[in-house]
Amino acid sequence: MKHNRRKPTRLNTRWPVFFNFVIPAVVCFFFFIGIGYAQSDASPDEENCLICHRYPRMGRYDEAGNKRVYYINDQLFAKSVHGKLRCKSCHVDLDKIPHENVKKVDCSIKCHLKDPSSNREFSHRGMVEKYENSVHGKGVNRQKKFPEDRPTCAYCHSNRSYNPYAGFWGKSEALSRETLARCQGCHTDKAWTEKVYAHFTHRLRRRRTQDEIVKLCTSCHEDKQKMARHGLEAISTYKDTFHWILVKYGVHNAPDCITCHVPVGYTTHEIRPRDDAMSPINKNNRIKTCSNQGGIQNCHPNATIKFAEGRVHAYGTKVQLMAAADKTKVSGNEEESLLIVRAREEITQSELFHYRVLSLISLFYKIFIGLVVGFMTMHQLLVHRRIKRNARKEDAHDAQ
Amino acid sequence: MPEKRTRMTHNEISMAMDDVDTPIVQDSPRRYFVRLNLSERIQHLIFVTCFIMLALTGVMVWLPEKTFHFLGSAKETVFLVRSLLHRIFATIMILVCIYHVYYLIFKAAGRRWFKDMMPKVKDINDFGGNMLYLIGFRDEPPEFDRFSYKHKLEYGALIAGMTLMSVSGIILWSEYFWDKFIVDIAALIHGMEAVLACLALMIWHLYEVHLRPHKFPVDNMWLTGVIDEAEMKEEYPLHYKKIMSDPELQKIYLREGSKGSGQKTDSINA
Repeated sequence: MKHNRRKPTRLNTRWPVFFNFVIPAVVCFFFFIGIGYAQSDASPDEENCLICHRYPRMGRYDEAGNKRVYYINDQLFAKSVHGKLRCKSCHVDLDKIPHENVKKVDCSIKCHLKDPSSNREFSHRGMVEKYENSVHGKGVNRQKKFPEDRPTCAYCHSNRSYNPYAGFWGKSEALSRETLARCQGCHTDKAWTEKVYAHFTHRLRRRRTQDEIVKLCTSCHEDKQKMARHGLEAISTYKDTFHWILVKYGVHNAPDCITCHVPVGYTTHEIRPRDDAMSPINKNNRIKTCSNQGGIQNCHPNATIKFAEGRVHAYGTKVQLMAAADKTKVSGNEEESLLIVRAREEITQSELFHYRVLSLISLFYKIFIGLVVGFMTMHQLLVHRRIKRNARKEDAHDAQ
Repeated sequence: MPEKRTRMTHNEISMAMDDVDTPIVQDSPRRYFVRLNLSERIQHLIFVTCFIMLALTGVMVWLPEKTFHFLGSAKETVFLVRSLLHRIFATIMILVCIYHVYYLIFKAAGRRWFKDMMPKVKDINDFGGNMLYLIGFRDEPPEFDRFSYKHKLEYGALIAGMTLMSVSGIILWSEYFWDKFIVDIAALIHGMEAVLACLALMIWHLYEVHLRPHKFPVDNMWLTGVIDEAEMKEEYPLHYKKIMSDPELQKIYLREGSKGSGQKTDSINA
C-alpha cells in the first residue's frame, strides 16, 4: 500500500477509495474465509476417506431397497465423541475400493486409543459383555432366539453428538458457552477443550427427554408381533398410567420407562427380567424404586409395601389371555402359545381377580352411561317435541 | 313500567321481558314464588363454579398429547396449575356439600327441602303419567309438587356422584397410603363417574335451564330465586295449590310485587 501511495498511477488517483480500501478489503475477506475453511477442515483424514465420502449425495439403495447414505460431514464428525478416531479404527477391512465384504461395526473391539485412567487401549468391551447378558442382549454365546429383534448398540446410541454441542445444558445455551469459556482460559487448544467439555456435560444430564425415551422404547415394545415371539406383551398399557400423562405434559422429572426400569444405581445395559433379584422392579426392590431413593426427585417417598407391590402398567394381553384361558387352547400358533405359557407362569390369582373386578366396573359404567344418557336424551327430546306441539296448538287456537 | 327513569334495575328489565311473554292483568299486584332462597342460590353458585373448573381441569388429563402442542414449553406449568386448581376446587366443592348436609339438618328451610325431596310413590305415578303426556296419550301433565321426579332423580344422582367422586378423589390424592388395587378402582371410578356426570349435566340440566323453549338462553331463576305465577301454575300446580291454601306456606314462598326474593316492595309494579 505504501508503495502505491508514493508512486500514484493514473487509475488509483481517479479511484482512490476503490483501490486503496475496497480491493484490499475484498482480498482480505476471501483470504480470511479461506483460512476459516482451512481451519474447519482440520480434522485428520489420514486415510483419505473423505475424497469420496465428502459428497452429500453419496449413497446407494441396498438389496432390501433401503436408502443408505454414505456422506460424512467431517466438521460434525470432528466434534463427535469419536471425532479423534480414524475411520478404519471401527470400519475394519475396508482396503479395497469399491469396498467388499463390509462388516458391521463391532463396538467391543479395541480402539488403539489410550484410556487415560489405566493407560491401556480403550474398549467398550466391558459394557458390551454386560449388555449381552441383559434382557436385551443376544446372550453370551448368542444362544437367544430371534437375535434380529434385539437392539444393537447403535439402535439406542444414534450418534447425537453430530449435533452442535450448544444446548448441552438444556435450554440455557449461555451457561454452556460461559462454562466452556472458563475452561478455555487454561486449556488453550480450543478443539480439544470443546471435545472434552462435550464429553463431560453429555453425561451430566440425560440425553433424551422423557418423551424421547418413551418413543425409543416403544419403537420395539409396542410391536405386538415382535413382543409375542419373545413371550412379552406390547406395552401400550404404559399410556394408560398417570406416569404417561406427566410425560405428555413434559413435567420435569416425569417418570418414563427408565425411571422405574433403570433407577439410580442401575444401568441401562443391565436391564434384567422382573423375577431376577437384581431387577429394580422385583417385588423386593419395588419400594426403593417407587420412592426413587438417591434420585433427584423422590417420587413416592411415603410408598407402603402394598402400594409399591401393585401393578403399575394397566392390565394387558397376558391377563386377558389368562381370563380367557379356558377357551383358548395352547396349541394355537406358536407365538400366542408362548404368551399363554408365560402368562400362566407370571399372572397370579390375585392379579386375575383384580383384572376381573376392574373390567366388571368398567363394563358396568359403560352400560350404565349408555342407559342413562339414552334415557335422558329420549326424555328431553319428548319434552321438546311436546312443548313445540303445545305451542303449535296454541297458535292454531289463536288463529281461530 | 315507570317511563321517567332512565336506568332500569336488573329485576325491572327481566320483568319487562316477562311482560312480553305473559301479559298479566295490571291492576292486581304481580306475585312471585320462591324456588331457591339466598343460601341455596349461593350454594348452587359455588357448586356450579367448582363443577365447571373441575371438569375443565380434569378433562385435560385425558385429552391426547397433540391437543397441547400449541402451549409449547408452558405445558408443564399448565399441568401443575391444573392439578393445583383441581384440588383447590375439589376441596371447596366438598366443603359446600358438607355445608349442605348441615343445612339440611339444622335449618328449617333445609329440613323442608329434605322433606320435599324425599321420593314418594306419587313420583312413580307422575313419571308414568308424564311419559304418557309427553308421548301424546294424555292431554294434561300430572300435577307436580315442589320437586318433580326430574328434580329428585337429579338430586339423587348428585348425591351419589358427589360421594363417589369425593371418596375416589381423596383416595387418589393419598395414593401411597392404599393398596394399588384400590387406587386403580378409584381412578377408574373417578374417570367414569366424571364422564357420566358431565354427560348427564349437559343433557338433562343444561336442557332444562338453557335450551328449553321459553327459557332460552338462560332461566334466570338461579340468580333471582323466584318464578312468576304463570310459570308456577304451569309447572308446579300442586305446590301452587298448597301454597295458596296455607297462609304459613305463603309467608315462606310467596312474594308480591318485587321479583327479588328477599324483600317485599309493592311500589315498583305500580
